[in-house]
Amino acid sequence: MRFDITVLTSQWPELLHGMGLTVLIWFAAVALGLVIGLAVAVVLLLGNRWLAAPLVAYVAVMRGTPFLIQLFVLYYGGPYFGLDLSPLTAGILGLAFYGGAYFSEIFRSGFLSVPPGQIEAARMMGISRLAIVRHIQLPQMLVIILPTLANMVVLLSKETAVLSVITVNELTSVVSSIGSTTFAFAETLLFLALVYWGFLEIITAAARRLERRVGRFTLRTSS
Amino acid sequence: MFDLAIVLKSVPMLLGAAVWTVVYSLSSVAIGFCIGTLVCAAGLSGSRIGRGFAAFYVSFFRGVPLLVQLLLSYYCLPLFGINVPSSVAAVGTLALCTGAYLAEILRGGFLGIPRGQIEAARMLGLSRPQILTRIEVPLAVRLTLPSLVNETTMMVKSSSLISVVGVLELTRLAQNIATSTFQPLEIYLTAGAIYFAINGVISAAGTLAERRFRAEGAG
Amino acid sequence: MATPLMIDVRGVHKSFGAAQVLKGVDLAIARSEVTCIIGPSGSGKSTLLRCMAFLETYDAGEIYIEGELLGYALEGGRRRPVSEAEVTRVRRNVGFVFQQFNLWPHMSALDNVAAPLRLARGIAHEDAAERARRMLDKVGLATRAHAYPAQLSGGQQQRVAIARALAMEPHIMLFDEPTSALDPELVGEVLNVMRELASEGMTMAVVTHEMGFAAQVADRVVFIDGGVIAVNGSPDYVFRQDDSPRLKQFLQNYFERNVFWQGG
Repeated sequence: MRFDITVLTSQWPELLHGMGLTVLIWFAAVALGLVIGLAVAVVLLLGNRWLAAPLVAYVAVMRGTPFLIQLFVLYYGGPYFGLDLSPLTAGILGLAFYGGAYFSEIFRSGFLSVPPGQIEAARMMGISRLAIVRHIQLPQMLVIILPTLANMVVLLSKETAVLSVITVNELTSVVSSIGSTTFAFAETLLFLALVYWGFLEIITAAARRLERRVGRFTLRTSS
Repeated sequence: MFDLAIVLKSVPMLLGAAVWTVVYSLSSVAIGFCIGTLVCAAGLSGSRIGRGFAAFYVSFFRGVPLLVQLLLSYYCLPLFGINVPSSVAAVGTLALCTGAYLAEILRGGFLGIPRGQIEAARMLGLSRPQILTRIEVPLAVRLTLPSLVNETTMMVKSSSLISVVGVLELTRLAQNIATSTFQPLEIYLTAGAIYFAINGVISAAGTLAERRFRAEGAG
Repeated sequence: MATPLMIDVRGVHKSFGAAQVLKGVDLAIARSEVTCIIGPSGSGKSTLLRCMAFLETYDAGEIYIEGELLGYALEGGRRRPVSEAEVTRVRRNVGFVFQQFNLWPHMSALDNVAAPLRLARGIAHEDAAERARRMLDKVGLATRAHAYPAQLSGGQQQRVAIARALAMEPHIMLFDEPTSALDPELVGEVLNVMRELASEGMTMAVVTHEMGFAAQVADRVVFIDGGVIAVNGSPDYVFRQDDSPRLKQFLQNYFERNVFWQGG
């Protein structure tokens, strides 16, 4: 077996494009997923009876079924609802809704981590429920849930690879198509694994640093 | 229009394929548990090489997307002269991957065992391997049961990715039927419902086991 | 009625599941009156106070705050719960001080007092801070305005909590065992603030185990036992004259527990 690295170096513009798209998908899905997750958690917290059941079902379904199947339903099944999405749009939306379900659970546990007495005190002062969420609960819980939240954000970056199955031209897709046209499977796939591994190590380390920094902040102000 | 007839027609076939999904995911969790125990033991051992290996293992298998791991094993094993059926390669890869997660879960479990319980066993004259297999592993499993059950449901979901390397299981069959009938929505929703049911059963079994453990006073 | 009662509790019942905690409580509190509520643990005294702030719903009876029914509306002899906004409106003149202070740990003492003014009353940032500073000064904590709760002693935290409630300019202050979570040497500073408040004519209801405070400051002492008001009268009457055996037993237990350090 010989190693021919030129199959990769000769294709660097495609590779760069694939990496860029992977990061873009990740950012977009995380941003949208956080919004979805927070919205779901707030609605469940404020206890709207009519919205609660469908939202609980949404979270359970997203967490109980494979992401790949969710992606297929959205991408191939979407046209039946008049949702004719491009692979990229379907991929980002799918990943956002998938991550949003997990984010909502994290936010929910965060809301519950703030002692009820503090919320009683705020209600006695006449502060509205939404203002309590915004000014009392969110600032405190963000510190507590940050590790779990960061973990999920990191995890979603790996899920972007699944989008290659619906022909999104992200990194996995680019590299494996180079592999199948040149038959240089070992070079291309090892390179792919190393790139993801390095990327994950970097963002995990960044998340740990952020946690430590915020952790110091909490030590100063409370506990 | 949602076509109920195609759903009803495909359900028996999909359920047949779901059996493979269950077989593949449960056997990879079983193998992965053994791998995870070994990696965890290496990580908690006094040996620097052992700890280094465990850290490397966990970091790699958790740092690379499972899909990429599957592609690696599918395309690269033959290059090393290893020719095994794609299902075996796929299950092996799933096991290696879940092994990394299970190692981390078990690590938390071992570290959560109160020191006094191990000291008590040592005082009673149990040997080191006896303490490990009779005291520490059962206690760690009980402490981490919810996470272990959760990891199993994750594996059921992750096993859908082995469809990409051509292994016939629920997702692969759903794809086959969807392309031949041109009714992807119905088929994929049905497949999703079956996955949901499988995971529902696993979660319920986990809750039951937890309750039993707690009734025994060991939870 | 010449002047409406500040708080009027009529026949209030409250259960938690199968446990009946309040079994028909009547209590009227007039303007500038200081009422101390005493009783054994589990007697329902804290539950009564929490009902008076609608931190707990109540099952039967009525509670009026300055003449307005709290938490419910009467329609053809039946009552129905009202919206949270309506509850907030009726109790906007009620301040509540908790046993556990319930300060917000991510805000400085000043922000703890100023934030509700901004968020609930829409008072401008500078004005809210100015009023918060005055309130902290009133409870003797002007110099600790920028400290976070974790940097304050229990007694200081409780004084911030009192300042926070006072900043809303309440007509009535409810205190739920305000010194029970404090180390003994910190109790005095909180009681002094409350004593001063009473002397300024604030209407107060205080659930407390501090019999000395009740004897000196209260206009009226209420002994709750088994979910009903068993004894209700002046401090002199409750502590010296009443001869119900349950109250005698309760006071006896109290003095036996406390004679050690009171005598020392």
